[in-house]
Amino acid sequence: MVSAIETRELISVVIGGICLRGTYHKAQDPASHFATGRKEKGRVGVLFLNSGFAPRAAGGDSAIYWADSFAKSGYPSFRFDLPGLGDSDGELPSQRMEFARMVNSGHYATFISGATKILTERYSLSGVVMVGHCAGAVSAFYAAAASKSVRGVVALEPYFFREEVPVRTDIRKAMSRWALGSKLARQLSSLFGRLKKLCRTVTGNELPKNANLPLLRCCSRLASAGLPMLMLNAHGPNTAVGEFDYFRHVQNSSGRAGRMVVKIVGGANHSLADDVGRTAVRQNTEQWLKNCFPLVEREEMAFSKQLTVNHQG
Amino acid sequence: MGHVNITAPGMITGEFAQLPVARGRRAPARSREGVLVQRGLEASLISREQAGYFEIAGAHLYTVLHEVADPLARVLLVGAFASERHSSYTPWVRWARYLSERGIECLRYDYRGIGESTGVFEELSFDDWSEDVEVLAGWLQSRSPEVPLVLHGLEVGALLANKAFVAGLGDALLAWAPPNSANEVLRSALLRRIAVDNMFRSGDQRKKLPEYLQQLETEHIEVDGYRWSNKLWRDSFHLELAVGIEDSASAVSSTTRPVRMVPLNQTAEPLVKGSMYRSINPDLSELFADNFGWIAAAMADQGGNHGLSH
Repeated sequence: MVSAIETRELISVVIGGICLRGTYHKAQDPASHFATGRKEKGRVGVLFLNSGFAPRAAGGDSAIYWADSFAKSGYPSFRFDLPGLGDSDGELPSQRMEFARMVNSGHYATFISGATKILTERYSLSGVVMVGHCAGAVSAFYAAAASKSVRGVVALEPYFFREEVPVRTDIRKAMSRWALGSKLARQLSSLFGRLKKLCRTVTGNELPKNANLPLLRCCSRLASAGLPMLMLNAHGPNTAVGEFDYFRHVQNSSGRAGRMVVKIVGGANHSLADDVGRTAVRQNTEQWLKNCFPLVEREEMAFSKQLTVNHQG
Repeated sequence: MGHVNITAPGMITGEFAQLPVARGRRAPARSREGVLVQRGLEASLISREQAGYFEIAGAHLYTVLHEVADPLARVLLVGAFASERHSSYTPWVRWARYLSERGIECLRYDYRGIGESTGVFEELSFDDWSEDVEVLAGWLQSRSPEVPLVLHGLEVGALLANKAFVAGLGDALLAWAPPNSANEVLRSALLRRIAVDNMFRSGDQRKKLPEYLQQLETEHIEVDGYRWSNKLWRDSFHLELAVGIEDSASAVSSTTRPVRMVPLNQTAEPLVKGSMYRSINPDLSELFADNFGWIAAAMADQGGNHGLSH
């Protein structure tokens, strides 16, 4: 058994006494030569966070697919399991709601910012772009605010509201099931949506009561500071039924410096692991990476060009 | 911000993990397997997790060896299939740690083309995944042939372990939540996808299982992010529990090697698919203790062959 193959390597970091385990996808563009460390010098790395409590491969192994793709484009990519998840050490709460509370309050930011620092130093990166899906996106925002090594955030299906109490979740699920199965319920649901929209118009588009204010403040701060951020969602907010547009809220609060891009992927599901979703994430993120963090030429190539210019001069 | 240790270069890029896990956690001693448990406690002090890639037929299997010095037994953990891998991962890892803390060395892995293993999922079949089990069982056994080997599978993994066991591999078989055939697992995953699809359709637009199966005859269908082929579906009917060991009772009469079939209900979620709204990391200590007890007893019963006693 070996800990590394041509394109990947198994790695671990210790943060706060907890061993986090992950996978490093080596950059494979023509400027790379598969020697760990040196080739990544000055590049931006991409760090994937767990999607909810799934292991680091993510649903349908989509994170592996994306990490392989970005590495092929020249961006060394890393996937780590956070404490208590996947192969990493540490404790995981028993209840889903408790886990949500931890995520929504930024519990994992310390570990992620620690990992970005280690990766940046170890691989001589210029910094790290974080990719998080759903709860992973929430953690990515908090970690970006806590770390000097983070150069950008790709948030896939982020959410900006706090956890709900379980009874409310159950009621909502039961109502959804009812609405799907009954014509009358669908009509009532549509009426409820229109009333909600009306309320939102009257109240001047106020933040919903369950909005995660610390998270929104964190995002606004990042956006105002000009941190490049890409938000990818399977669906846009359904304003026809009064859904609050959090993306617009963050964009509006970020001022002129904001470098936040929002893309809606039609036809994908929440996991973005389906064919449509995974392709859209790959294409949009690769393009965004190239725009925001263009790859620098290999040192020796740049040096060779410089010599040519000097000679002609 | 918490304390950050920057690890040495060898740590970050070398072997997967150097840290012993769960140091000093003592397992409760049990009377019948007392000696085994005691020996397990001694061995557990130097257990560690070592991840790596195992080359097989042009692909690399992701493996994690929960290494134990002087193990009392070895267990090959054949996990759940495809999307079930993700939901069951946390308790599956905890089970491996539980066993290794008690002196039983474990090897867990990802099927070829799934999770951290390389390979193209849609090009693979149950034959390939059976080969994974056989090769890894052989490798684990070869580490020290005198130490007994238990094949232990979950769901489709239970069927694959069962198949290898029937072929003569392993000294015992422990099957958790074994379906009658792999098709049962595939069918329920496909039905879940259909239910989600139909949530956004109404009336005549809603499709039923036969329409999906018809589509599968000519093209791949994506289920939970995996591209299923028609061959996968057809082959799934043929991966089933071997005649004679469909349950623990019938196994007694058909084999001299210990066999245990453990059906799991929703109280064991997320080891098996449930609502995912109940618990993400439930207390499975009762299930673990009971099955550790069975492994210990089974190995002790075979003590004449393997030098174990109780």
